[in-house]
Amino acid sequence: MSHPDFSDCRVLIDPAPPRCHASHITDGALVSVEFGIIGQQLVNGLTLGGMYALLALGYTLVYGILLMINFAHAEMFMFGAYVGLFTLQGLAQIEFFTSSGPALLLLYLLTFLIAMVATGILGVIIERFAYRPLRHAPRLAPLISAIGVSLFLQNAALLWISSRSIPFPVLFEVRTFRVAGANISSMQILIIVTTIVLMLILDTFVSRTRLGRAMRATSQDRDAAGLMGVDINRVIALTFFIGPALGGAAGIFSGMYYGNIKYNMGFIPGIKSFTAAVIGGIGNLRGAMLGGFLLGLLESLAAAYISTGYKDVIAFGILIVVLIFKPGGLLGESVTEKV
Amino acid sequence: MSVARSKRFFAIVAVLTMLAMTVTGCGGDNGDTDTGENGATGDMVDIKIGVSSPFTGDVAALGTGIRNGAQLAVEEAAVELAELGINLTMLAVDDAADPRQGVNAANQMVSDPAVVGVVAHLNSGVSIPASEVYNQAGIVQVSPASTNPALTLQGFENVFRVCTIDTVQGSFAAEYAYDVLGLSSVAVIDDSTAYGEGLAAEFAAAFEAKGGDVVSTDKIQLREVDFTALVTNINAASPDFIYFGGMYTEAGLISKQAKEAGFEGPLMGGDGLYTAQYVDIAGAANAEGDFATSIGLPLSEQPKGQEFQAAFEERFPGEAIEAYDTYGYDATMVIVEAIKVVAADLGVDELRTPAGKQAIIEAVAATNFEGVTGLVTFDENGDTLNEAVTPYVVRDGAWVPYTD
Repeated sequence: MSHPDFSDCRVLIDPAPPRCHASHITDGALVSVEFGIIGQQLVNGLTLGGMYALLALGYTLVYGILLMINFAHAEMFMFGAYVGLFTLQGLAQIEFFTSSGPALLLLYLLTFLIAMVATGILGVIIERFAYRPLRHAPRLAPLISAIGVSLFLQNAALLWISSRSIPFPVLFEVRTFRVAGANISSMQILIIVTTIVLMLILDTFVSRTRLGRAMRATSQDRDAAGLMGVDINRVIALTFFIGPALGGAAGIFSGMYYGNIKYNMGFIPGIKSFTAAVIGGIGNLRGAMLGGFLLGLLESLAAAYISTGYKDVIAFGILIVVLIFKPGGLLGESVTEKV
Repeated sequence: MSVARSKRFFAIVAVLTMLAMTVTGCGGDNGDTDTGENGATGDMVDIKIGVSSPFTGDVAALGTGIRNGAQLAVEEAAVELAELGINLTMLAVDDAADPRQGVNAANQMVSDPAVVGVVAHLNSGVSIPASEVYNQAGIVQVSPASTNPALTLQGFENVFRVCTIDTVQGSFAAEYAYDVLGLSSVAVIDDSTAYGEGLAAEFAAAFEAKGGDVVSTDKIQLREVDFTALVTNINAASPDFIYFGGMYTEAGLISKQAKEAGFEGPLMGGDGLYTAQYVDIAGAANAEGDFATSIGLPLSEQPKGQEFQAAFEERFPGEAIEAYDTYGYDATMVIVEAIKVVAADLGVDELRTPAGKQAIIEAVAATNFEGVTGLVTFDENGDTLNEAVTPYVVRDGAWVPYTD
């Protein structure tokens, strides 16, 4: 290390980003800068993890009820983002929505509502036509059907919308707050907070309401629940509404956060969210949330402290180790598979 | 054979047949008309120039631009060649910027006996594996945009390019950043592709040789969207600027995320950034002040740039001219010129034979004509001797040539 030269290092006092070389910072300053970086990486990871967690809930909900992996779920992320974009563009034409702060808030609430409902309805339609006819078929059949639906939706977006990235407009001013050396944007706060609120609503719904109880009953034993008077088809349709609706919301967040959407945008988050669901214990809602946040954090920290090129290798390597010691996932129960 | 086994055999055959159909079926609609046995319709000999670049996917903006340029050239040349008894058409096949699809496209083009030369591909990572197909088929390949040096160093006599190489571009960028812009420290990122890796490595080596400080080098993967962890690290090291080897999709996202995280310097990259889509993806406010070097002169300074622009606007109203349109045009014209030479030497009927195709390769090697981008001549490797590189900067949301 060269001689400490901190004449141009104003990390702690100056709100502007430092224009000095990291290796020139004194030990004391290094600690604070490091703290700021860690804080920032944690926020980066939580934002990413929030999106994974929302998407992971869809995988875990469907698996919990049907013991089926819905590979078309990644496309709900993409579909939600496109519906969100078109809704936002359409509604922004109406002058009222862009006239004031509260109106803008209403615009975004409506965008999320419309996109989530539309994605939810798509989920129900997919279940009705691609999965329900195969419900008593061997378990591989609906899996292949799901892959088919996924390819169909991706190619439909490619051919009917565009093969290019489409910019996703942000109609409000994104502010950046400097907290303890970390730059946290209002967008990141919005995503993390909304994600947690949506999860709390879902958790309450499943554990406290009649319909939620019906879902849990169906998940434990579908036939017995049917005999007890639970309308199985309705519960399954409901599951295929809630999961995609949340996935669609995650898609809009992705569009808002990264500023672009694309026909194949669901693929990578889809695989990662599925992994998150498995890590948390597939079938377990809180597990999916935990797994999503955990994977997001692991990825960010691996990229930050080890290597950006190997971040996925490292994150997935750690996850494999977790699975070796807890094959059922972190919050999953290790029950023997029912056949 | 038991019933079960014959059933399984049938299933395998059925699957293989379907696979074969999908592979050969993709990108089939190219206005390919049925030709007679000897490839002649009437008295005319059917000749095609193959064009392959990404028409779909992330870098479609640049790829369709190449096709537009080639189409202009083919339509223009077709009039002249018709008088020689040649019916010239274009066979355009999408490579989706994917090496596997690129090799498929190459096979599809070389299997058509009327194809005497190809204008292909955009991405170096696609051009390099596909060049082997063209080499084996004995068909000339003129790349309009693949800048990785390795492409023409394989010892293939049929491979040429009208764009200059990354060694030239990378060291130009390093000199420009250090000497002209006065930037002395950099964080280098590449996208793990032949093009991005090559360019970033050339740049980093040249920048260090100048005395610049490379504070970090990182790799990202294509199709990733979250670079927040990476830019947070870069921000902490606070270099003067970021150099990115890769295409505009990822570059735009990196610029956006870096600036939003408080990075104050510019992002700089190569010709893969030089498209309006870059600004769309990064957002105009974030892209402002970012740099890109691109091969050749700006369109307004290219010898026949204005003529090209007028012809382009008439043929493709409402479409923007992208970075490689003129290169697509010139690459096509290189092949057209060679067709004329061979038609005069060996006769029109010989064009479709292996001897004719070999003669075209030799004629291309001897190319010497004034294209839109300047004088086109090739060195012994097949690289253009036109080594002009232009720096561009984003001003008010659009790329403009940089002047101090």
